[in-house]
Amino acid sequence: MLAFTVVGIITGGIIVYRIYTKPHRDVTREQGVQLSAQSLYDAFKTNETAANAKYLNKAIELNGEVAEVTTNQDGNTVVNIKTNDLMFVINCTFKIQPGELKAGQNITFKGICTGYIPDFNVVINEGVLVKIN
Amino acid sequence: MKVFLSLLIASLFIVSNADAQKIFATRNGKIVFSAPTDDDVKAVNNEVTSRIADNGQVTFSLLIKGFRFKYAEMQEHFNDQYLESNKFPRADFKGNIVNLKEVNFTKDGSYKVIVKGDLTMHGITKSITANGKIDIKAGKPVVTCEFEVSMKDFNVDAAKVTSKVTVEVSCQYQ
Repeated sequence: MLAFTVVGIITGGIIVYRIYTKPHRDVTREQGVQLSAQSLYDAFKTNETAANAKYLNKAIELNGEVAEVTTNQDGNTVVNIKTNDLMFVINCTFKIQPGELKAGQNITFKGICTGYIPDFNVVINEGVLVKIN
Repeated sequence: MKVFLSLLIASLFIVSNADAQKIFATRNGKIVFSAPTDDDVKAVNNEVTSRIADNGQVTFSLLIKGFRFKYAEMQEHFNDQYLESNKFPRADFKGNIVNLKEVNFTKDGSYKVIVKGDLTMHGITKSITANGKIDIKAGKPVVTCEFEVSMKDFNVDAAKVTSKVTVEVSCQYQ
Protein backbone atom coordinates (compact mmCIF):
# COMPACT_ATOMS: atom_id res chain seq x y z
CA MET A 1 0.00 0.00 0.00
CA LEU A 2 2.78 2.35 1.00
CA ALA A 3 4.66 1.45 -2.19
CA PHE A 4 1.57 2.31 -4.26
CA THR A 5 1.22 5.67 -2.55
CA VAL A 6 4.87 6.49 -3.05
CA VAL A 7 4.72 5.49 -6.73
CA GLY A 8 1.54 7.55 -7.11
CA ILE A 9 3.09 10.62 -5.55
CA ILE A 10 6.22 10.32 -7.65
CA THR A 11 4.25 9.84 -10.89
CA GLY A 12 2.00 12.78 -10.04
CA GLY A 13 5.05 14.83 -9.21
CA ILE A 14 6.68 14.02 -12.53
CA ILE A 15 3.49 14.95 -14.45
CA VAL A 16 3.19 18.29 -12.65
CA TYR A 17 6.92 18.92 -13.09
CA ARG A 18 6.64 18.27 -16.82
CA ILE A 19 3.65 20.57 -17.23
CA TYR A 20 5.54 23.39 -15.60
CA THR A 21 8.87 22.85 -17.27
CA LYS A 22 8.01 21.85 -20.83
CA PRO A 23 10.02 24.34 -22.89
CA HIS A 24 8.44 26.74 -25.39
CA ARG A 25 9.06 26.05 -29.06
CA ASP A 26 12.45 27.14 -30.31
CA VAL A 27 12.13 28.14 -33.95
CA THR A 28 15.92 28.42 -34.39
CA ARG A 29 16.07 24.63 -34.23
CA GLU A 30 13.37 24.11 -36.83
CA GLN A 31 13.64 23.88 -40.58
CA GLY A 32 11.36 26.57 -41.95
CA VAL A 33 9.16 26.36 -45.05
CA GLN A 34 10.89 28.78 -47.44
CA LEU A 35 8.90 31.37 -49.41
CA SER A 36 8.67 35.06 -50.22
CA ALA A 37 6.60 37.53 -48.19
CA GLN A 38 4.55 38.19 -51.33
CA SER A 39 3.70 34.50 -51.88
CA LEU A 40 2.63 34.16 -48.24
CA TYR A 41 0.28 37.14 -48.62
CA ASP A 42 -1.05 35.83 -51.96
CA ALA A 43 -1.77 32.43 -50.39
CA PHE A 44 -3.85 33.95 -47.56
CA LYS A 45 -5.60 36.45 -49.80
CA THR A 46 -6.58 33.81 -52.35
CA ASN A 47 -7.78 31.16 -49.92
CA GLU A 48 -7.54 31.76 -46.19
CA THR A 49 -8.67 28.26 -45.18
CA ALA A 50 -6.15 26.55 -47.43
CA ALA A 51 -3.36 28.90 -46.31
CA ASN A 52 -4.25 28.30 -42.65
CA ALA A 53 -3.96 24.55 -43.18
CA LYS A 54 -0.60 25.04 -44.86
CA TYR A 55 1.09 27.72 -42.74
CA LEU A 56 -0.66 28.18 -39.39
CA ASN A 57 1.67 27.41 -36.47
CA LYS A 58 4.41 26.37 -38.92
CA ALA A 59 8.01 27.55 -38.85
CA ILE A 60 8.51 29.59 -42.00
CA GLU A 61 11.54 31.23 -43.53
CA LEU A 62 10.52 34.37 -45.39
CA ASN A 63 12.34 36.82 -47.57
CA GLY A 64 11.14 40.28 -48.41
CA GLU A 65 11.73 44.02 -48.31
CA VAL A 66 11.59 45.89 -45.01
CA ALA A 67 8.80 48.50 -45.03
CA GLU A 68 9.40 49.79 -41.51
CA VAL A 69 11.00 48.86 -38.21
CA THR A 70 9.13 49.64 -34.99
CA THR A 71 8.88 48.40 -31.42
CA ASN A 72 5.78 46.92 -29.80
CA GLN A 73 4.33 48.11 -26.49
CA ASP A 74 6.58 45.73 -24.58
CA GLY A 75 9.77 46.90 -26.29
CA ASN A 76 10.27 44.04 -28.78
CA THR A 77 11.41 44.79 -32.31
CA VAL A 78 8.73 44.54 -34.99
CA VAL A 79 9.58 44.49 -38.67
CA ASN A 80 6.89 45.04 -41.28
CA ILE A 81 7.63 43.48 -44.66
CA LYS A 82 6.19 44.91 -47.87
CA THR A 83 3.68 43.24 -50.15
CA ASN A 84 2.31 44.61 -53.42
CA ASP A 85 -0.65 45.98 -51.44
CA LEU A 86 0.39 49.30 -49.88
CA MET A 87 -1.88 48.78 -46.87
CA PHE A 88 -0.88 45.19 -46.22
CA VAL A 89 2.34 43.90 -44.65
CA ILE A 90 3.80 40.79 -43.07
CA ASN A 91 4.11 41.79 -39.41
CA CYS A 92 7.00 40.05 -37.69
CA THR A 93 7.86 40.35 -34.00
CA PHE A 94 11.43 39.29 -33.25
CA LYS A 95 12.39 37.33 -30.16
CA ILE A 96 16.08 37.84 -30.84
CA GLN A 97 17.17 41.40 -31.63
CA PRO A 98 17.83 41.51 -35.40
CA GLY A 99 20.28 44.41 -35.07
CA GLU A 100 20.00 47.62 -37.09
CA LEU A 101 17.54 47.13 -39.94
CA LYS A 102 16.39 49.83 -42.32
CA ALA A 103 13.46 50.31 -44.65
CA GLY A 104 14.36 49.13 -48.14
CA GLN A 105 16.67 46.31 -47.04
CA ASN A 106 15.90 42.82 -48.24
CA ILE A 107 16.04 40.29 -45.42
CA THR A 108 15.47 36.60 -44.77
CA PHE A 109 14.05 35.65 -41.39
CA LYS A 110 12.41 32.76 -39.63
CA GLY A 111 9.42 32.66 -37.31
CA ILE A 112 6.10 31.03 -36.51
CA CYS A 113 3.03 32.03 -38.50
CA THR A 114 0.05 32.74 -36.23
CA GLY A 115 -2.35 33.68 -39.03
CA TYR A 116 -4.03 36.26 -41.22
CA ILE A 117 -5.93 39.44 -40.36
CA PRO A 118 -7.71 40.74 -43.50
CA ASP A 119 -6.93 44.37 -44.44
CA PHE A 120 -4.03 44.44 -41.99
CA ASN A 121 -1.33 41.78 -42.02
CA VAL A 122 -0.13 38.21 -41.76
CA VAL A 123 1.44 37.77 -38.32
CA ILE A 124 4.74 36.05 -37.64
CA ASN A 125 6.16 35.90 -34.13
CA GLU A 126 9.19 34.36 -32.43
CA GLY A 127 11.20 35.89 -35.28
CA VAL A 128 14.93 35.45 -35.81
CA LEU A 129 16.96 37.09 -38.57
CA VAL A 130 18.61 34.61 -40.94
CA LYS A 131 20.46 37.08 -43.16
CA ILE A 132 20.44 40.47 -44.85
CA ASN A 133 20.36 39.87 -48.60
CA MET B 1 -15.01 80.42 -66.43
CA LYS B 2 -11.88 78.32 -66.02
CA VAL B 3 -10.96 80.18 -62.86
CA PHE B 4 -14.46 79.73 -61.54
CA LEU B 5 -14.40 76.02 -62.27
CA SER B 6 -11.05 75.46 -60.62
CA LEU B 7 -12.21 77.45 -57.61
CA LEU B 8 -15.32 75.34 -57.43
CA ILE B 9 -13.29 72.14 -57.61
CA ALA B 10 -10.88 73.45 -55.00
CA SER B 11 -13.71 74.39 -52.65
CA LEU B 12 -15.28 70.96 -53.08
CA PHE B 13 -11.97 69.48 -52.07
CA ILE B 14 -11.77 71.61 -48.94
CA VAL B 15 -15.31 70.70 -47.94
CA SER B 16 -14.82 66.97 -48.52
CA ASN B 17 -11.54 67.11 -46.62
CA ALA B 18 -13.20 68.73 -43.66
CA ASP B 19 -15.78 65.98 -43.72
CA ALA B 20 -13.28 63.15 -44.06
CA GLN B 21 -13.20 61.01 -40.99
CA LYS B 22 -9.96 60.51 -39.16
CA ILE B 23 -8.90 56.93 -38.59
CA PHE B 24 -6.24 55.81 -36.13
CA ALA B 25 -4.74 52.33 -36.39
CA THR B 26 -2.31 49.89 -34.82
CA ARG B 27 -0.92 46.49 -35.84
CA ASN B 28 0.71 45.84 -32.47
CA GLY B 29 -1.78 46.63 -29.75
CA LYS B 30 -1.77 44.55 -26.60
CA ILE B 31 -4.43 42.34 -25.01
CA VAL B 32 -3.86 40.32 -21.84
CA PHE B 33 -6.34 37.86 -20.42
CA SER B 34 -6.21 36.13 -17.06
CA ALA B 35 -8.29 33.83 -14.91
CA PRO B 36 -9.39 35.61 -11.73
CA THR B 37 -8.77 32.50 -9.63
CA ASP B 38 -5.45 31.22 -11.00
CA ASP B 39 -2.38 33.43 -11.42
CA ASP B 40 -0.74 31.01 -13.85
CA VAL B 41 -3.60 31.25 -16.34
CA LYS B 42 -2.49 34.42 -18.03
CA ALA B 43 -1.54 35.15 -21.63
CA VAL B 44 -0.38 38.12 -23.67
CA ASN B 45 -0.99 39.00 -27.30
CA ASN B 46 1.10 41.85 -28.74
CA GLU B 47 -0.18 41.62 -32.31
CA VAL B 48 -3.66 43.04 -31.90
CA THR B 49 -4.79 45.03 -34.93
CA SER B 50 -7.26 47.80 -34.33
CA ARG B 51 -8.83 50.83 -35.97
CA ILE B 52 -10.64 53.59 -34.21
CA ALA B 53 -12.40 56.31 -36.18
CA ASP B 54 -13.50 59.69 -34.91
CA ASN B 55 -17.04 58.78 -35.97
CA GLY B 56 -17.01 56.22 -33.14
CA GLN B 57 -16.39 53.01 -35.07
CA VAL B 58 -14.00 50.62 -33.37
CA THR B 59 -12.57 47.30 -34.60
CA PHE B 60 -10.17 44.85 -32.97
CA SER B 61 -8.76 41.62 -34.39
CA LEU B 62 -6.30 39.16 -32.97
CA LEU B 63 -4.98 35.70 -33.67
CA ILE B 64 -5.61 33.08 -30.99
CA LYS B 65 -2.22 31.48 -31.68
CA GLY B 66 -0.62 34.83 -30.85
CA PHE B 67 -1.39 34.42 -27.12
CA ARG B 68 1.76 33.56 -25.23
CA PHE B 69 1.54 31.83 -21.86
CA LYS B 70 4.30 31.40 -19.32
CA TYR B 71 3.89 27.63 -19.59
CA ALA B 72 4.11 25.98 -23.02
CA GLU B 73 1.85 23.13 -21.91
CA MET B 74 -0.96 25.54 -21.04
CA GLN B 75 -0.54 27.32 -24.37
CA GLU B 76 -1.01 24.00 -26.15
CA HIS B 77 -4.14 23.09 -24.19
CA PHE B 78 -5.56 26.55 -24.74
CA ASN B 79 -5.08 26.27 -28.51
CA ASP B 80 -5.92 22.61 -29.09
CA GLN B 81 -8.65 21.87 -26.55
CA TYR B 82 -10.28 25.10 -25.47
CA LEU B 83 -10.21 27.66 -28.29
CA GLU B 84 -9.59 25.15 -31.13
CA SER B 85 -7.41 27.70 -32.88
CA ASN B 86 -6.84 25.58 -35.99
CA LYS B 87 -10.54 25.76 -36.71
CA PHE B 88 -11.11 29.29 -35.35
CA PRO B 89 -7.81 31.14 -35.75
CA ARG B 90 -9.07 34.68 -35.16
CA ALA B 91 -11.18 36.71 -32.75
CA ASP B 92 -12.84 39.91 -34.01
CA PHE B 93 -14.65 42.77 -32.36
CA LYS B 94 -16.70 45.38 -34.24
CA GLY B 95 -18.45 48.10 -32.33
CA ASN B 96 -19.08 51.73 -31.56
CA ILE B 97 -18.33 54.27 -28.88
CA VAL B 98 -21.75 54.82 -27.32
CA ASN B 99 -20.93 58.20 -25.74
CA LEU B 100 -19.00 59.61 -28.70
CA LYS B 101 -20.12 63.17 -27.90
CA GLU B 102 -17.96 63.13 -24.79
CA VAL B 103 -14.76 62.41 -26.74
CA ASN B 104 -12.74 65.09 -28.50
CA PHE B 105 -10.16 63.40 -30.72
CA THR B 106 -8.53 66.71 -31.54
CA LYS B 107 -7.91 67.75 -27.94
CA ASP B 108 -5.41 66.07 -25.63
CA GLY B 109 -7.07 64.67 -22.53
CA SER B 110 -8.55 61.60 -20.90
CA TYR B 111 -12.06 60.53 -21.90
CA LYS B 112 -14.17 57.80 -20.32
CA VAL B 113 -15.92 55.72 -22.98
CA ILE B 114 -18.51 52.98 -23.24
CA VAL B 115 -17.98 50.66 -26.18
CA LYS B 116 -20.68 48.34 -27.42
CA GLY B 117 -20.39 45.79 -30.19
CA ASP B 118 -20.10 42.20 -31.35
CA LEU B 119 -17.30 39.90 -30.29
CA THR B 120 -16.76 36.85 -32.49
CA MET B 121 -14.62 34.07 -31.06
CA HIS B 122 -14.61 30.28 -31.25
CA GLY B 123 -17.23 30.52 -34.00
CA ILE B 124 -19.74 32.37 -31.81
CA THR B 125 -20.80 36.03 -31.93
CA LYS B 126 -22.03 37.78 -28.78
CA SER B 127 -22.83 41.38 -28.03
CA ILE B 128 -20.64 42.89 -25.33
CA THR B 129 -20.41 46.27 -23.63
CA ALA B 130 -17.21 47.48 -22.01
CA ASN B 131 -16.14 50.52 -20.07
CA GLY B 132 -12.82 52.02 -20.98
CA LYS B 133 -10.80 55.13 -21.44
CA ILE B 134 -9.33 56.96 -24.41
CA ASP B 135 -6.34 59.15 -23.66
CA ILE B 136 -5.38 61.55 -26.42
CA LYS B 137 -1.68 62.27 -26.15
CA ALA B 138 -0.08 64.55 -28.73
CA GLY B 139 -3.07 63.94 -30.96
CA LYS B 140 -2.78 60.11 -30.84
CA PRO B 141 -5.24 57.90 -28.95
CA VAL B 142 -4.30 55.34 -26.32
CA VAL B 143 -7.15 52.99 -25.42
CA THR B 144 -7.38 51.06 -22.17
CA CYS B 145 -10.34 48.90 -21.29
CA GLU B 146 -11.21 45.91 -19.14
CA PHE B 147 -14.08 43.45 -19.36
CA GLU B 148 -15.01 39.89 -18.48
CA VAL B 149 -15.71 37.08 -20.90
CA SER B 150 -17.67 34.03 -19.84
CA MET B 151 -16.37 30.77 -21.27
CA LYS B 152 -19.89 29.38 -21.55
CA ASP B 153 -21.02 32.30 -23.75
CA PHE B 154 -18.48 31.28 -26.36
CA ASN B 155 -18.99 27.56 -25.95
CA VAL B 156 -15.48 27.08 -24.54
CA ASP B 157 -15.41 24.01 -22.35
CA ALA B 158 -12.75 25.10 -19.87
CA ALA B 159 -14.68 24.41 -16.66
CA LYS B 160 -11.68 22.56 -15.23
CA VAL B 161 -9.63 25.76 -15.41
CA THR B 162 -11.96 28.73 -15.17
CA SER B 163 -15.52 29.86 -15.92
CA LYS B 164 -14.50 33.34 -17.01
CA VAL B 165 -11.50 35.48 -17.86
CA THR B 166 -10.69 39.13 -17.42
CA VAL B 167 -9.59 40.80 -20.64
CA GLU B 168 -7.38 43.88 -20.50
CA VAL B 169 -6.97 45.94 -23.66
CA SER B 170 -4.14 48.43 -24.06
CA CYS B 171 -3.61 49.90 -27.54
CA GLN B 172 -1.48 52.81 -28.67
CA TYR B 173 -2.55 54.16 -32.05
CA GLN B 174 -0.78 55.99 -34.82
